[in-house]
Amino acid sequence: MIVALTVYCWLLCLYPVSYREEFGEEMKSVFRDARNEVPPTLIAKISFYAREFSGLLSGALRAHFDRLFGPALSFRRFYMQPQFRFPRSTVFLMLVIFAGTILTIAEASKIAGDTRGWSGVWPSLGSVLVFMLVTMCAAAAIVWGILHTLRRSGVHRLENVQSWIDSVKSNGI
Amino acid sequence: METFPLTEPVLLVLLSLLEQPRHGYAILKDVESMSRGRVLLSTGTLYGALQRLLGEGWIERIQEDDAPRDRRTYRLTMRGRRNLQMEIERMRHLTKVAALRIAGKEA
Repeated sequence: MIVALTVYCWLLCLYPVSYREEFGEEMKSVFRDARNEVPPTLIAKISFYAREFSGLLSGALRAHFDRLFGPALSFRRFYMQPQFRFPRSTVFLMLVIFAGTILTIAEASKIAGDTRGWSGVWPSLGSVLVFMLVTMCAAAAIVWGILHTLRRSGVHRLENVQSWIDSVKSNGI
Repeated sequence: METFPLTEPVLLVLLSLLEQPRHGYAILKDVESMSRGRVLLSTGTLYGALQRLLGEGWIERIQEDDAPRDRRTYRLTMRGRRNLQMEIERMRHLTKVAALRIAGKEA
């Protein structure tokens, strides 16, 4: 129980500080109560912890998303708006792209057959995987940098402007 | 005011608070009971929904002086009640249409 609560507290640290201050104690208390009600079977316990910990992870992600961009994705169920429907030409374009991909694979297989024996020239699978990993890390760092910059650019302070105006009005300055 | 579909957990949380004000764990158990054990909310999902509902002014916290910090009670606001009724009305209409169409197909 103590281990589970410790893990829960660690995962709670993934939430924004303001969220933790508002709901942290309550969430821990509810988790403790819910944990005490779990049937003492292994499957029930695994199912409970999986539900709780995955719920915490997705909740933390959503809380950060809401904090950065506002509650754009609120509790409304997502449904496709008419303006987001694919135009009919998309089907044709997708077929063209699909045919192009098949042709490219066929050509690549042919070239690979012609250059058999040149395998030493091509990079090994390991180096390709390392390259992909580095590329993905770089892309993630860039995205994180953009998000961080957006938050630090002062845009998030705009929400305080209205409350400042209100406070000035209420003070009669 | 617009009507919109709500996610099932949010709908069940609102229905739970429609009956009476409740604290977090009581909501969790009531949702489980209402859905006959089909919807098991995690605390992360529950408090995510409560935070958004508080933000939209659909629910509010009841100020209780003797309530401990880890056991606060929530209740539905007038706005929340109105929106919930609209959502139920939308679902009722949908159910009626579905029933008519199923009956038409079977006839």
